Amino acid sequence: MRIYDMDTKQYVDFCKVENPITKVEQLSHALYCYENEVFDIIYDKAQPALRAHVKSFGEEFLKQDGMQFLYFTSGTTGTPTGVYKTKENSKKQAWALIDTLPKDMKFNRIVTTVPFVHIYGVDIGGVVAREMNIDVWVKENFLPEELAIEAQVEGTLIVTTPLFIKALNRVKKDVKFKNSYFLTSTAPLSTDDAKEFAGHYKSSVMQLFASTETGMMAYKVDDETVLRAYDCVEIGESDNMLNISSPFVAKRVLNKTIQDVKFPFQTEDIVEMLSEHKFKLLGRSSNLAKVAGKRISTLQIENIVESLENVECALVKVRKDEKALRDEVLDIYVESSVEIKSKDLKTALKKVFGSMHIVFKLYNNMLITKSSVGKKIGFKEKN
Amino acid sequence: MVTTEDLKMKLIDGLGLEDIEVAEIGDEMELFGDDGLGLDSVDAIEITLIVEKEFGVKIKDAGEQSGVFSTPNSLVAYINENK
Repeated sequence: MRIYDMDTKQYVDFCKVENPITKVEQLSHALYCYENEVFDIIYDKAQPALRAHVKSFGEEFLKQDGMQFLYFTSGTTGTPTGVYKTKENSKKQAWALIDTLPKDMKFNRIVTTVPFVHIYGVDIGGVVAREMNIDVWVKENFLPEELAIEAQVEGTLIVTTPLFIKALNRVKKDVKFKNSYFLTSTAPLSTDDAKEFAGHYKSSVMQLFASTETGMMAYKVDDETVLRAYDCVEIGESDNMLNISSPFVAKRVLNKTIQDVKFPFQTEDIVEMLSEHKFKLLGRSSNLAKVAGKRISTLQIENIVESLENVECALVKVRKDEKALRDEVLDIYVESSVEIKSKDLKTALKKVFGSMHIVFKLYNNMLITKSSVGKKIGFKEKN
Repeated sequence: MVTTEDLKMKLIDGLGLEDIEVAEIGDEMELFGDDGLGLDSVDAIEITLIVEKEFGVKIKDAGEQSGVFSTPNSLVAYINENK
Protein backbone atom coordinates (compact mmCIF):
# COMPACT_ATOMS: atom_id res chain seq x y z
CA MET A 1 0.00 0.00 0.00
CA ARG A 2 1.29 3.47 -0.85
CA ILE A 3 0.19 7.08 -0.56
CA TYR A 4 -0.11 8.86 -3.89
CA ASP A 5 0.25 12.62 -3.73
CA MET A 6 -1.98 13.86 -6.55
CA ASP A 7 -0.55 17.38 -6.39
CA THR A 8 3.10 16.40 -6.90
CA LYS A 9 2.18 13.25 -8.84
CA GLN A 10 4.45 11.00 -6.83
CA TYR A 11 4.24 8.25 -4.24
CA VAL A 12 5.10 9.13 -0.65
CA ASP A 13 6.37 6.75 2.05
CA PHE A 14 4.95 6.55 5.54
CA CYS A 15 7.29 8.60 7.70
CA LYS A 16 7.48 10.52 10.93
CA VAL A 17 6.63 14.19 10.35
CA GLU A 18 7.31 16.63 13.17
CA ASN A 19 4.59 19.09 12.36
CA PRO A 20 2.29 17.62 9.70
CA ILE A 21 0.40 20.39 7.92
CA THR A 22 -0.61 19.12 4.48
CA LYS A 23 -2.97 16.20 4.02
CA VAL A 24 -0.18 14.05 2.61
CA GLU A 25 2.04 14.81 5.61
CA GLN A 26 -0.84 14.13 8.02
CA LEU A 27 -1.60 10.76 6.45
CA SER A 28 2.03 9.74 6.04
CA HIS A 29 2.66 10.48 9.71
CA ALA A 30 -0.53 8.81 10.97
CA LEU A 31 0.15 5.62 9.00
CA TYR A 32 3.78 5.61 10.18
CA CYS A 33 2.48 5.72 13.77
CA TYR A 34 -0.15 3.04 13.06
CA GLU A 35 2.35 0.76 11.37
CA ASN A 36 4.98 1.12 14.11
CA GLU A 37 2.51 1.31 17.02
CA VAL A 38 3.76 4.74 18.00
CA PHE A 39 1.28 6.74 20.07
CA ASP A 40 0.26 10.09 18.57
CA ILE A 41 -2.11 12.96 19.27
CA ILE A 42 -4.18 13.71 16.19
CA TYR A 43 -5.96 17.03 16.03
CA ASP A 44 -6.40 20.10 13.88
CA LYS A 45 -3.38 22.21 14.73
CA ALA A 46 -4.94 25.15 12.89
CA GLN A 47 -7.38 25.58 15.79
CA PRO A 48 -5.67 27.83 18.35
CA ALA A 49 -7.95 26.86 21.26
CA LEU A 50 -7.44 23.16 20.67
CA ARG A 51 -3.68 23.65 20.35
CA ALA A 52 -3.67 25.48 23.69
CA HIS A 53 -5.84 22.78 25.25
CA VAL A 54 -3.42 20.03 24.24
CA LYS A 55 -0.47 22.12 25.39
CA SER A 56 -2.09 22.72 28.78
CA PHE A 57 -1.89 18.99 29.58
CA GLY A 58 1.55 18.38 28.10
CA GLU A 59 2.30 15.55 25.69
CA GLU A 60 3.89 13.34 28.35
CA PHE A 61 0.74 13.42 30.46
CA LEU A 62 -1.42 12.60 27.46
CA LYS A 63 0.64 9.63 26.38
CA GLN A 64 -1.05 6.38 27.49
CA ASP A 65 0.43 2.88 27.26
CA GLY A 66 -1.36 0.60 24.84
CA MET A 67 -3.12 3.46 23.08
CA GLN A 68 -2.59 4.25 19.41
CA PHE A 69 -4.20 7.64 18.86
CA LEU A 70 -5.70 10.41 20.93
CA TYR A 71 -8.35 12.32 18.97
CA PHE A 72 -10.37 15.31 20.07
CA THR A 73 -14.02 16.04 19.72
CA SER A 74 -16.03 19.00 20.94
CA GLY A 75 -17.46 18.08 24.34
CA THR A 76 -21.08 18.92 25.03
CA THR A 77 -20.00 21.48 27.63
CA GLY A 78 -17.82 23.33 25.16
CA THR A 79 -14.55 21.89 26.40
CA PRO A 80 -12.90 19.43 24.00
CA THR A 81 -13.03 15.77 24.97
CA GLY A 82 -10.01 13.63 24.23
CA VAL A 83 -10.74 10.14 22.94
CA TYR A 84 -8.16 7.37 23.19
CA LYS A 85 -8.20 4.64 20.58
CA THR A 86 -6.20 1.44 20.39
CA LYS A 87 -4.81 -0.01 17.20
CA GLU A 88 -7.25 -2.89 17.70
CA ASN A 89 -10.18 -0.42 17.71
CA SER A 90 -9.17 0.88 14.29
CA LYS A 91 -8.21 -2.46 12.79
CA LYS A 92 -11.41 -4.29 13.75
CA GLN A 93 -13.43 -1.32 12.60
CA ALA A 94 -11.69 -1.30 9.22
CA TRP A 95 -12.56 -4.96 8.69
CA ALA A 96 -16.16 -4.45 9.74
CA LEU A 97 -16.45 -1.80 7.05
CA ILE A 98 -14.63 -3.86 4.43
CA ASP A 99 -17.06 -6.74 5.07
CA THR A 100 -20.02 -4.50 4.21
CA LEU A 101 -18.65 -3.32 0.86
CA PRO A 102 -20.33 -4.80 -2.23
CA LYS A 103 -18.93 -8.27 -2.84
CA ASP A 104 -19.18 -7.93 -6.60
CA MET A 105 -16.82 -4.95 -6.71
CA LYS A 106 -13.04 -5.11 -6.57
CA PHE A 107 -11.33 -2.01 -5.26
CA ASN A 108 -7.80 -1.11 -6.25
CA ARG A 109 -7.45 2.31 -4.65
CA ILE A 110 -9.04 4.77 -2.24
CA VAL A 111 -9.41 8.43 -3.21
CA THR A 112 -9.95 10.74 -0.25
CA THR A 113 -11.22 14.30 -0.11
CA VAL A 114 -10.93 14.55 3.67
CA PRO A 115 -8.15 15.81 5.94
CA PHE A 116 -6.41 13.48 8.38
CA VAL A 117 -6.91 15.43 11.59
CA HIS A 118 -9.81 13.39 12.91
CA ILE A 119 -10.94 9.81 13.16
CA TYR A 120 -12.89 9.67 9.90
CA GLY A 121 -9.92 10.67 7.78
CA VAL A 122 -7.35 8.51 9.55
CA ASP A 123 -9.43 5.40 10.22
CA ILE A 124 -11.51 5.29 7.05
CA GLY A 125 -9.24 7.07 4.58
CA GLY A 126 -5.98 5.64 5.94
CA VAL A 127 -6.42 2.47 7.99
CA VAL A 128 -9.04 0.92 5.68
CA ALA A 129 -6.66 1.39 2.73
CA ARG A 130 -3.83 -0.09 4.81
CA GLU A 131 -5.89 -3.14 5.76
CA MET A 132 -7.13 -3.63 2.20
CA ASN A 133 -3.55 -3.14 1.03
CA ILE A 134 -4.54 -0.70 -1.69
CA ASP A 135 -3.10 2.73 -2.50
CA VAL A 136 -4.66 5.86 -1.11
CA TRP A 137 -4.76 8.95 -3.32
CA VAL A 138 -4.61 12.31 -1.59
CA LYS A 139 -5.06 15.84 -2.90
CA GLU A 140 -4.88 19.01 -0.86
CA ASN A 141 -7.89 20.69 -2.50
CA PHE A 142 -10.46 18.78 -4.47
CA LEU A 143 -13.04 20.30 -6.74
CA PRO A 144 -16.22 18.42 -7.71
CA GLU A 145 -15.01 18.33 -11.35
CA GLU A 146 -11.77 16.67 -10.29
CA LEU A 147 -13.50 14.14 -8.08
CA ALA A 148 -15.80 13.31 -10.99
CA ILE A 149 -12.77 12.41 -13.10
CA GLU A 150 -11.32 10.13 -10.40
CA ALA A 151 -14.69 8.50 -9.73
CA GLN A 152 -14.91 7.30 -13.32
CA VAL A 153 -11.87 5.08 -12.81
CA GLU A 154 -12.92 1.48 -12.21
CA GLY A 155 -12.36 0.08 -8.73
CA THR A 156 -12.18 3.41 -6.90
CA LEU A 157 -13.47 3.64 -3.35
CA ILE A 158 -14.09 7.30 -2.55
CA VAL A 159 -13.90 8.48 1.04
CA THR A 160 -15.67 11.81 1.15
CA THR A 161 -18.36 13.88 2.84
CA PRO A 162 -21.98 14.73 1.96
CA LEU A 163 -20.67 18.10 0.74
CA PHE A 164 -19.18 16.47 -2.38
CA ILE A 165 -22.26 14.35 -3.02
CA LYS A 166 -24.39 17.52 -2.98
CA ALA A 167 -21.86 19.40 -5.11
CA LEU A 168 -21.79 16.59 -7.71
CA ASN A 169 -25.58 16.63 -7.73
CA ARG A 170 -25.48 20.32 -8.53
CA VAL A 171 -22.95 20.09 -11.37
CA LYS A 172 -24.85 17.10 -12.84
CA LYS A 173 -21.96 15.98 -15.00
CA ASP A 174 -22.81 13.72 -17.90
CA VAL A 175 -20.71 10.82 -16.63
CA LYS A 176 -21.35 7.60 -14.71
CA PHE A 177 -19.52 6.20 -11.70
CA LYS A 178 -20.93 2.68 -11.95
CA ASN A 179 -17.62 0.99 -11.14
CA SER A 180 -16.85 3.16 -8.11
CA TYR A 181 -18.33 3.35 -4.65
CA PHE A 182 -18.69 6.29 -2.26
CA LEU A 183 -18.39 6.41 1.52
CA THR A 184 -19.55 9.48 3.39
CA SER A 185 -19.23 10.62 6.97
CA THR A 186 -21.93 11.03 9.59
CA ALA A 187 -23.02 14.54 8.57
CA PRO A 188 -26.55 14.31 7.24
CA LEU A 189 -27.18 13.51 3.60
CA SER A 190 -30.86 13.66 2.83
CA THR A 191 -32.52 10.66 1.22
CA ASP A 192 -33.42 12.93 -1.72
CA ASP A 193 -29.77 13.88 -2.28
CA ALA A 194 -28.63 10.25 -1.98
CA LYS A 195 -31.35 9.09 -4.38
CA GLU A 196 -30.56 11.83 -6.88
CA PHE A 197 -26.85 10.96 -6.77
CA ALA A 198 -27.41 7.21 -7.18
CA GLY A 199 -29.89 7.80 -10.00
CA HIS A 200 -27.82 10.27 -11.98
CA TYR A 201 -24.34 8.80 -11.55
CA LYS A 202 -25.37 5.11 -11.35
CA SER A 203 -23.28 4.71 -8.24
CA SER A 204 -23.93 4.12 -4.56
CA VAL A 205 -23.23 6.04 -1.38
CA MET A 206 -22.74 4.24 1.90
CA GLN A 207 -23.30 6.63 4.78
CA LEU A 208 -21.35 5.72 7.89
CA PHE A 209 -22.91 6.53 11.22
CA ALA A 210 -20.10 7.04 13.68
CA SER A 211 -18.61 9.28 16.31
CA THR A 212 -15.12 9.73 17.65
CA GLU A 213 -16.00 8.07 20.96
CA THR A 214 -17.96 5.10 19.57
CA GLY A 215 -16.19 4.59 16.28
CA MET A 216 -18.47 3.22 13.58
CA MET A 217 -21.87 2.17 14.79
CA ALA A 218 -24.03 1.57 11.73
CA TYR A 219 -24.48 2.31 8.04
CA LYS A 220 -27.07 2.76 5.34
CA VAL A 221 -26.86 2.78 1.58
CA ASP A 222 -28.30 5.35 -0.84
CA ASP A 223 -31.84 6.41 0.10
CA GLU A 224 -32.34 3.86 2.88
CA THR A 225 -33.74 5.41 6.03
CA VAL A 226 -32.94 2.56 8.42
CA LEU A 227 -29.44 2.24 9.85
CA ARG A 228 -27.95 -1.24 10.18
CA ALA A 229 -25.58 -1.77 13.08
CA TYR A 230 -22.37 -3.66 12.31
CA ASP A 231 -22.45 -7.33 13.37
CA CYS A 232 -20.24 -6.87 16.41
CA VAL A 233 -22.00 -3.68 17.54
CA GLU A 234 -24.61 -4.17 20.25
CA ILE A 235 -27.18 -1.43 20.33
CA GLY A 236 -29.60 -0.45 23.05
CA GLU A 237 -31.53 2.59 24.18
CA SER A 238 -32.09 4.52 27.33
CA ASP A 239 -34.63 7.36 27.33
CA ASN A 240 -34.78 7.01 23.52
CA MET A 241 -31.06 7.64 23.28
CA LEU A 242 -28.76 5.14 21.65
CA ASN A 243 -26.16 3.25 23.65
CA ILE A 244 -23.41 1.15 22.17
CA SER A 245 -21.12 -1.72 23.12
CA SER A 246 -18.59 -2.71 20.51
CA PRO A 247 -14.91 -3.38 19.91
CA PHE A 248 -14.70 0.05 18.22
CA VAL A 249 -15.64 2.13 21.26
CA ALA A 250 -12.84 4.21 22.80
CA LYS A 251 -11.07 2.71 25.80
CA ARG A 252 -10.45 5.95 27.63
CA VAL A 253 -11.52 9.57 27.44
CA LEU A 254 -9.86 12.74 28.58
CA ASN A 255 -11.83 15.53 30.17
CA LYS A 256 -10.14 17.11 33.17
CA THR A 257 -8.65 13.71 33.91
CA ILE A 258 -8.21 10.51 31.95
CA GLN A 259 -10.96 7.98 32.66
CA ASP A 260 -11.87 4.50 31.43
CA VAL A 261 -15.01 4.39 29.31
CA LYS A 262 -17.97 2.58 30.84
CA PHE A 263 -19.99 0.19 28.69
CA PRO A 264 -22.45 0.48 27.17
CA PHE A 265 -21.40 3.89 25.91
CA GLN A 266 -24.30 6.31 26.12
CA THR A 267 -24.61 8.54 23.06
CA GLU A 268 -26.80 11.62 22.71
CA ASP A 269 -28.41 10.37 19.50
CA ILE A 270 -32.17 10.05 19.72
CA VAL A 271 -33.26 6.89 17.94
CA GLU A 272 -36.19 4.65 17.22
CA MET A 273 -35.18 1.01 17.68
CA LEU A 274 -36.61 -1.29 15.01
CA SER A 275 -34.93 -4.62 15.74
CA GLU A 276 -31.82 -6.07 17.30
CA HIS A 277 -29.58 -4.49 14.67
CA LYS A 278 -31.67 -1.80 13.06
CA PHE A 279 -32.72 1.69 14.08
CA LYS A 280 -33.74 5.08 12.78
CA LEU A 281 -31.90 8.22 13.75
CA LEU A 282 -34.37 10.87 14.89
CA GLY A 283 -32.01 13.61 16.06
CA ARG A 284 -29.41 14.70 18.52
CA SER A 285 -30.13 15.66 22.09
CA SER A 286 -27.12 17.86 22.67
CA ASN A 287 -26.41 21.27 21.24
CA LEU A 288 -23.79 20.34 18.74
CA ALA A 289 -23.31 21.92 15.35
CA LYS A 290 -21.27 20.42 12.57
CA VAL A 291 -18.95 23.00 11.04
CA ALA A 292 -16.44 21.99 8.36
CA GLY A 293 -16.77 18.40 9.47
CA LYS A 294 -16.11 19.13 13.11
CA ARG A 295 -18.56 19.09 15.95
CA ILE A 296 -18.76 22.38 17.79
CA SER A 297 -20.76 22.88 20.92
CA THR A 298 -23.20 25.76 20.77
CA LEU A 299 -22.31 26.39 24.42
CA GLN A 300 -18.75 27.10 23.33
CA ILE A 301 -20.03 29.65 20.80
CA GLU A 302 -22.28 31.21 23.45
CA ASN A 303 -19.28 31.55 25.78
CA ILE A 304 -17.31 33.31 23.03
CA VAL A 305 -20.17 35.70 22.26
CA GLU A 306 -20.64 36.44 25.96
CA SER A 307 -16.95 37.23 26.29
CA LEU A 308 -17.45 40.25 23.99
CA GLU A 309 -17.71 43.61 25.66
CA ASN A 310 -21.28 44.76 26.44
CA VAL A 311 -22.83 41.34 25.81
CA GLU A 312 -24.99 40.20 28.68
CA CYS A 313 -26.27 36.93 27.30
CA ALA A 314 -26.26 34.91 24.08
CA LEU A 315 -28.24 31.98 22.76
CA VAL A 316 -27.12 29.90 19.79
CA LYS A 317 -29.45 27.72 17.74
CA VAL A 318 -28.44 25.40 14.93
CA ARG A 319 -30.41 25.92 11.73
CA LYS A 320 -30.35 23.16 9.12
CA ASP A 321 -30.56 23.76 5.40
CA GLU A 322 -30.38 20.47 3.56
CA LYS A 323 -30.20 22.14 0.17
CA ALA A 324 -27.04 24.11 0.98
CA LEU A 325 -23.55 22.60 0.83
CA ARG A 326 -23.05 23.81 4.37
CA ASP A 327 -26.05 22.28 5.98
CA GLU A 328 -25.82 23.88 9.40
CA VAL A 329 -25.94 27.60 10.07
CA LEU A 330 -25.79 29.16 13.51
CA ASP A 331 -28.45 31.65 14.51
CA ILE A 332 -26.94 33.76 17.30
CA TYR A 333 -29.31 35.79 19.48
CA VAL A 334 -27.60 38.48 21.52
CA GLU A 335 -28.75 40.45 24.53
CA SER A 336 -26.44 43.42 24.92
CA SER A 337 -26.36 47.09 25.74
CA VAL A 338 -24.95 48.00 22.31
CA GLU A 339 -25.23 46.42 18.87
CA ILE A 340 -22.66 43.70 18.31
CA LYS A 341 -20.94 43.76 14.91
CA SER A 342 -20.41 40.59 12.90
CA LYS A 343 -16.81 41.59 12.33
CA ASP A 344 -16.10 41.67 16.07
CA LEU A 345 -17.66 38.29 16.56
CA LYS A 346 -15.72 36.87 13.62
CA THR A 347 -12.49 38.11 15.19
CA ALA A 348 -13.39 36.45 18.49
CA LEU A 349 -14.30 33.17 16.77
CA LYS A 350 -11.06 33.26 14.81
CA LYS A 351 -9.05 33.45 18.01
CA VAL A 352 -10.55 30.14 19.09
CA PHE A 353 -11.20 28.25 15.87
CA GLY A 354 -8.54 29.70 13.58
CA SER A 355 -9.47 29.89 9.92
CA MET A 356 -12.51 27.60 10.21
CA HIS A 357 -15.34 29.49 8.54
CA ILE A 358 -18.36 29.47 10.79
CA VAL A 359 -21.50 30.64 9.04
CA PHE A 360 -23.81 32.53 11.35
CA LYS A 361 -26.59 35.08 11.39
CA LEU A 362 -26.50 37.56 14.20
CA TYR A 363 -29.68 38.84 15.86
CA ASN A 364 -29.11 41.91 18.02
CA ASN A 365 -31.51 43.61 20.39
CA MET A 366 -32.79 40.37 21.89
CA LEU A 367 -33.84 39.41 25.36
CA ILE A 368 -32.80 35.87 26.28
CA THR A 369 -35.42 34.23 28.46
CA LYS A 370 -34.35 31.86 31.21
CA SER A 371 -35.96 29.21 33.37
CA SER A 372 -36.18 29.52 37.13
CA VAL A 373 -32.85 27.72 37.43
CA GLY A 374 -31.14 30.00 34.92
CA LYS A 375 -31.26 27.74 31.87
CA LYS A 376 -31.64 29.63 28.60
CA ILE A 377 -34.96 28.62 27.13
CA GLY A 378 -35.72 31.13 24.41
CA PHE A 379 -35.56 34.69 23.13
CA LYS A 380 -37.75 37.61 22.25
CA GLU A 381 -37.14 41.03 20.77
CA LYS A 382 -36.47 43.80 23.26
CA ASN A 383 -39.14 46.48 23.26
CA MET B 1 -18.17 41.50 -19.44
CA VAL B 2 -18.37 40.52 -15.78
CA THR B 3 -17.35 43.19 -13.26
CA THR B 4 -15.97 42.70 -9.77
CA GLU B 5 -19.22 44.21 -8.44
CA ASP B 6 -21.23 41.51 -10.26
CA LEU B 7 -19.01 38.85 -8.80
CA LYS B 8 -19.06 40.22 -5.26
CA MET B 9 -22.86 40.36 -5.28
CA LYS B 10 -23.07 36.75 -6.43
CA LEU B 11 -20.56 35.69 -3.77
CA ILE B 12 -22.44 37.49 -1.01
CA ASP B 13 -25.70 35.84 -2.09
CA GLY B 14 -24.27 32.42 -2.82
CA LEU B 15 -22.08 32.13 0.25
CA GLY B 16 -24.63 33.63 2.61
CA LEU B 17 -22.30 36.47 3.65
CA GLU B 18 -25.28 38.29 5.03
CA ASP B 19 -23.43 40.90 7.04
CA ILE B 20 -20.99 42.01 4.35
CA GLU B 21 -21.60 44.78 1.83
CA VAL B 22 -20.13 44.81 -1.68
CA ALA B 23 -18.12 47.93 -0.76
CA GLU B 24 -16.44 46.07 2.11
CA ILE B 25 -14.83 43.56 -0.23
CA GLY B 26 -11.77 45.08 -1.85
CA ASP B 27 -10.87 44.13 -5.42
CA GLU B 28 -7.51 42.86 -4.19
CA MET B 29 -8.76 41.35 -0.95
CA GLU B 30 -7.68 37.75 -0.39
CA LEU B 31 -10.74 35.52 -0.57
CA PHE B 32 -9.19 32.73 1.48
CA GLY B 33 -7.05 32.66 4.58
CA ASP B 34 -6.92 34.67 7.74
CA ASP B 35 -6.01 38.07 6.29
CA GLY B 36 -8.87 38.55 3.87
CA LEU B 37 -12.45 37.45 3.60
CA GLY B 38 -11.65 34.30 5.59
CA LEU B 39 -13.34 31.82 3.26
CA ASP B 40 -12.45 28.13 3.52
CA SER B 41 -12.35 24.97 1.43
CA VAL B 42 -16.12 24.49 1.58
CA ASP B 43 -16.58 28.01 0.23
CA ALA B 44 -14.07 27.21 -2.52
CA ILE B 45 -16.31 24.41 -3.74
CA GLU B 46 -19.33 26.68 -3.46
CA ILE B 47 -17.52 29.37 -5.51
CA THR B 48 -16.82 26.92 -8.33
CA LEU B 49 -20.53 26.11 -8.41
CA ILE B 50 -21.51 29.79 -8.31
CA VAL B 51 -19.11 30.69 -11.11
CA GLU B 52 -20.42 27.87 -13.27
CA LYS B 53 -24.08 28.63 -12.59
CA GLU B 54 -23.97 32.42 -12.71
CA PHE B 55 -21.29 33.04 -15.34
CA GLY B 56 -21.19 29.76 -17.27
CA VAL B 57 -17.49 29.18 -16.59
CA LYS B 58 -16.27 25.80 -15.39
CA ILE B 59 -13.36 25.49 -13.01
CA LYS B 60 -11.72 22.17 -13.59
CA ASP B 61 -8.52 22.31 -11.61
CA ALA B 62 -7.91 23.18 -7.96
CA GLY B 63 -4.37 24.23 -8.95
CA GLU B 64 -5.91 26.90 -11.15
CA GLN B 65 -8.18 27.85 -8.34
CA SER B 66 -5.47 28.64 -5.82
CA GLY B 67 -3.73 31.13 -8.12
CA VAL B 68 -6.44 32.66 -10.19
CA PHE B 69 -9.10 32.61 -7.54
CA SER B 70 -7.18 34.41 -4.87
CA THR B 71 -8.87 37.84 -5.16
CA PRO B 72 -12.05 39.26 -6.76
CA ASN B 73 -9.89 40.89 -9.46
CA SER B 74 -8.10 37.67 -10.43
CA LEU B 75 -11.32 35.69 -10.34
CA VAL B 76 -13.12 38.17 -12.60
CA ALA B 77 -10.18 38.16 -15.01
CA TYR B 78 -10.38 34.36 -15.16
CA ILE B 79 -14.14 34.44 -15.75
CA ASN B 80 -13.85 36.99 -18.55
CA GLU B 81 -11.01 35.08 -20.21
CA ASN B 82 -12.92 31.83 -20.14
CA LYS B 83 -16.42 33.02 -20.87
